[in-house]
Amino acid sequence: MTAAAATAETRRALPAARRFRDWWSNPWGKPRFLVFFTLVYLVWSIVPILIAIRFSFNEGRSRSTAQGWSFRWYTEDPDLSVLHDPDLSAALLQSLRLAALAVAITVPLGVALAIGLTRWRGRAASTSRFVSLVPLVTPEIVMGVALLLVFVHVLSFIPLGTPAQAIGHVTFSLAFVLIIVRSRLLSIGPEYEEAAQDLGASPLQALRLALLPLLTPAIVASAIIVFAISMDDFVVSAFLSSGTTTDTVPVRIYSTGRTSPTPALNALATVTLAITLVIAALAFGLWRFVRAARGQTGSAIEEFARVETDPTR
Amino acid sequence: MAKPERRLGGRRREALWAALALPGIVWLALFFVVPFYVILGVAFGTVDPTFQTPRPTWNPLDWNTQAFDFVIDGLVSRGGVFRHVFLRTLVYVAISVVLSLAIAYPVAYFVARFGGRWKGLLLLGLIAPFFISYLMRMLAWINLLQDDGWVNDVLLWIGILDAPRNWLDGRASSVILGMVYGYVPFMILPLYAFLDRIDRSLLDAARDLGASPLQAFRLVTLPLSVPAILAGCVIIALPMFGDYYTPDLLSGSPKTSLVGNQINLYIRGGQQIPVGAALVIVLMLLLAFLLAYYVFATARAQRRLSG
Amino acid sequence: MATFHPREWRYARREFLQRGAAGAFALSSMGTLLAACGGGGNGEFKPPELLLARPDNPVTHPLFDDNPLIASGLEPESGTLRIYNWNGYLWPRAMKNFGKEYGVKVELTTFSTMDEAIAKISSGAVDFDVFFPTPDRMSRLVVGKLLQPLNHDYLPNLAKTVWPSVQDPFYDKGSRYTVPYTIYTTGIGYRADKVTTTPDKLSNPYDIYWDESLKGKMFLLDDGREAPVHMLFRNGITDVNTENPDHLELAKNELKSLIDAVNVKLSTDDYSHVPEGRAWVHQMWSGSAVSAPSYLPEGTGTEVLGYWFPSDGRGSIGNDTIAIPRAAKNPVLAHYFLNYLLDEKHGYDNFANYVGYQPPFVTLDPDRLVTDEIVPANLKSAVVRESDFDTGYFQLELTPEGQTLWQVAWAEFKAGG
Repeated sequence: MTAAAATAETRRALPAARRFRDWWSNPWGKPRFLVFFTLVYLVWSIVPILIAIRFSFNEGRSRSTAQGWSFRWYTEDPDLSVLHDPDLSAALLQSLRLAALAVAITVPLGVALAIGLTRWRGRAASTSRFVSLVPLVTPEIVMGVALLLVFVHVLSFIPLGTPAQAIGHVTFSLAFVLIIVRSRLLSIGPEYEEAAQDLGASPLQALRLALLPLLTPAIVASAIIVFAISMDDFVVSAFLSSGTTTDTVPVRIYSTGRTSPTPALNALATVTLAITLVIAALAFGLWRFVRAARGQTGSAIEEFARVETDPTR
Repeated sequence: MAKPERRLGGRRREALWAALALPGIVWLALFFVVPFYVILGVAFGTVDPTFQTPRPTWNPLDWNTQAFDFVIDGLVSRGGVFRHVFLRTLVYVAISVVLSLAIAYPVAYFVARFGGRWKGLLLLGLIAPFFISYLMRMLAWINLLQDDGWVNDVLLWIGILDAPRNWLDGRASSVILGMVYGYVPFMILPLYAFLDRIDRSLLDAARDLGASPLQAFRLVTLPLSVPAILAGCVIIALPMFGDYYTPDLLSGSPKTSLVGNQINLYIRGGQQIPVGAALVIVLMLLLAFLLAYYVFATARAQRRLSG
Repeated sequence: MATFHPREWRYARREFLQRGAAGAFALSSMGTLLAACGGGGNGEFKPPELLLARPDNPVTHPLFDDNPLIASGLEPESGTLRIYNWNGYLWPRAMKNFGKEYGVKVELTTFSTMDEAIAKISSGAVDFDVFFPTPDRMSRLVVGKLLQPLNHDYLPNLAKTVWPSVQDPFYDKGSRYTVPYTIYTTGIGYRADKVTTTPDKLSNPYDIYWDESLKGKMFLLDDGREAPVHMLFRNGITDVNTENPDHLELAKNELKSLIDAVNVKLSTDDYSHVPEGRAWVHQMWSGSAVSAPSYLPEGTGTEVLGYWFPSDGRGSIGNDTIAIPRAAKNPVLAHYFLNYLLDEKHGYDNFANYVGYQPPFVTLDPDRLVTDEIVPANLKSAVVRESDFDTGYFQLELTPEGQTLWQVAWAEFKAGG
C-alpha cells in the first residue's frame, strides 16, 4: 500500500469533524481562504444567470419579482412569447443559422490553414502565421467597422445580413481554430505521417489517414468553440445586420434590454443557452468517446480547458 | 542507431502545404487585411456632398487628413473631446483589469493547485460562462440592478441602504462591475492552464528547504506566473477597449461614455463616418503595443513547441 | 506537456519587426489593387444644388427626364412588396391585410437611423418598394435621384383624406415625391404622480429639465436634433434649423449642464419608460404619449401620465412621409400601398391599433379621439391639430456644413463632458 493510499484510508476512517479540524489546521493542506473565495466566485458567476432563468418562467410581466411559474413567455402567450413573437423567434433562428454556417465553413478552412501553416516553411508562411493571429486580439468594434465599410463600399455585391454576418463570424473564428489545431499538430509531430509515407502512402493520403484521425479531438474542440463564439457574438452581428430580420439573439437582447422588456427576453436567452449547452455537451461527449477509443486517459475536462484556452500548450 | 530525422519537406510537399493553407490565407486577406486598408481609405477619404456618405480614397498620395486631424486635435488639445473619453476608457479598463486579476488569480490558483478530486467539476463551473452569451450575463445584471431588483432588496434588508438606489443611472461603478463580471472568465482559464503546468517539484523543493506556504508562493509561483498574468491582462484589456455595449446597457448616461461609444456614434449614427474611421485607427495605434506583445508571445511559444 | 522554466523569456525583436514590415508592405501595395477594383473614386465632383425647404420658402422639387413617372392605368405587380421603415412604425396586420387584398407577399425591413437607411439605398445594394423618409432629407434624395416621382392617378385618397395644408406641403409642393404618413409634436412627457411641478406651471416650461428632484429620472430623446432643439427653445431661440455656431455652442453647454444637474439619460423608449416609472420626465414624441397607456403596469390608471406641448402651438413639430425609391421593382403595387395607407379606415386602424402616431387626416380630431377612447382626456394635448402645422417649428434640411455643426456638438455632449 502506498503512503498516499495509507493516509487516505486513515483519513476516511476518522469522524468528519476530526477530519475537518485537521484540514483547518494544516498549513500545507487546502487553504481555507482560497476555498471560500473560489466558492464565492462560482456563486457570483452562476447565480445571476440562474435568477434570470427563474424569471423567464414567471407568470406575470415582472423580471425582478417572482410571480408564479409558467411557460407563458416560451410558448403560451399568443403575441409576446418566444414562439409567437416574430422578432424573437427570428433572432433565435438567425443565431442558429449563423452558428451552423460558421462551423461549417470555419472548421475545414481553419484545419487546412493550420496544417498548411504549420508544415510550410519560409518567410511567407511566418508572415501568414503572424497575421492570422491578429484577429484574436483585435477589439470587435474594429472588426465590425472594418467589415461594414468593406461590404458597403468595396464588396457591395455581398448584401448585409446573413451573408455578411456569416463572413464576419468565420473571419474572427478562424484564429481560434488555427490556434487549437496548430497546438495539437505541434505536439503530435510529424512521425505518424512519416511512418505512413514510409509504408507507401502519398503525402495527401498520409494526411488523411494518419494525421486527421489524430487531430479529431482538436477539430471537435474547435467546432465547439466556434459554435459558442458565434452564438455569443454581438458586435459584428450588430454592425452587419440588415435590419430586425437578421438580428441575432444577442443583438435582440441589446436592443430590447435597455427598455422594459417582458420575461420573454429572458426566455429567449434561456433557450439559446440551452441549445448551446446541449450541442456543446453532445460534441464533448463525442470527443470523450473518441479519446477513449484512442486510449487516451486523464480528465477530459481538464484537457479541454487547456486546449481551449492555452495557445502556448 | 539513430535515424536522421527527415523533415516532411521537399518541393512537391511544400506545394501541398501551401495549397492547404491558401484558402484560409486568401480568406483572411480578403476579409481581414483588406478591411483594415478600407478603414484607412475611408478615414483619409472624402465625403459625398449630397448624402454625406464616405467616398474612400485608395491612393495614399491623395489622402485627405481632415478627419484624422480632427480626431488628433480632439485627443491632444487640453479640453479635447476625445481626450477625456480616451482617458476615461483607460481608467475603466485599468481598474477592471486589476479587479479581474484580483479575482481570477486566486480562483485559478486554487483550481490548479488544490483542485484534486473536484477539479473536473470546478473546471466545468469555470468553462460555463464561455457558453453563456455575454449579453445574457449583462441582462441578468440589469435585472438584479433595477430599482426593484434583488441587489436593492438585499442591501435594504441588510440595512446598508435606506432607500433603493438607482444603480443603472450612469455610475462608473456599475459599468466597471459589468465589465469585470463579463470578462473575468476569459482571464481565469488561461491563468489556470498556465498555473496547472507549473512543475510541482519546484514547490516541493521550496517546501523541503523550509519555506512556508506563503513564501513558496511568493518566491516560486508568483515570479513564474508573471508571463501568464501579463498575457491574461492583455487578453481581456483589448476587447474592453472596444466595449460600448456594457456602458449602454448598464448606464444610459453620457457620463460613462467610452471610446467604443464614440466610434459607434460616428459610424452608425451620423454622417461623420471618416471621423469614426479615424477614431478606429487611433485606437488601433494606441493598442498596437498590447496587440503586438500578445501576438508575438503566442507565436514565439508555438515556435518553441515546434522546436 | 512541457513544464516551464523560469529563465525562458527572450525577445527576438528584430524578427518581429521584420515580419511586421513585410505585412505593412503588403498592405500599401493593396492601395493600387483597390483603386483598380473601383470601390469608390476621388474624381472631381461638383455638388448639385440643394433646395432647402422652409415654411416661408416652399420648394417644388424638380422632375428629371431620366427619372420619369410610371404610366397611369397599369395593373399592380404580383411580386413581393418590400417595405423599408423604422421599427415598430407600421401595423403588421395592415401589411398582412394589404397582402391578402392584392394577393402578394409583404416584407418589412427596418432601419434604426435615417443615415443608415439613406446610405443603404444610395449604395444601390438594396431595392425597396416603399420607403419612409423624413422631410429633412428631401432635397438630397430628389437630387440624388433616389426617389421616383409619384403618379397621383393612383393616389385618389390623398385629396380625400389628408389635411389640405399637408397635401401640398412646403417641403414638397405638389406632393411630387412624397405623401405624408404621420404627424407629431415633440413635447415633454411626465409622471403626474411623481413630479413636484409640471411644465405649464413654470415660467419657462423647459426649466423642468433641471429640476433637482428628478435626479436619475430625467431623460431626453437620444436624437441629435430633438434634444438640442429644446435647449434652444429654453433660451428663446426658435430657429430650429440654425447654423449659427454660437447657438449650437449654447445648446451643447445646456445639454452638458444637465449631466451634473440631474444625471440626464438618453433614450428613444419614451413610450415605455414613463409609464413604467423609469423616467419621471422624458422629452417625448406625441405618438409615444398616445401609446404610453398600454405600457402602464396593472392597476395604474392613465391619470398618472401627462404630456405638455405649448398651447399656442409654438413648439417642435414634424412629420414622416412615404415615398417610392427609384429602384423599386413593384412601383405600381407600391402606389397602391401608399393609397392604402392614406385610406381613412386603414390609416386610422394603423394608428389606433399599433403606431400611436397619427396620420394628418381630416376626420381625426382631438375630441373624436378622446370619445373613441384612443387617447385619455388628460393626454389630449398629444393630439396634433391642423393649426399646429402652421404654428409649429419644423426640423428641416441643413447644408452639409450645418449638419456637421449639429453632429459635432451632439457627439461632444455624448462624450460626457
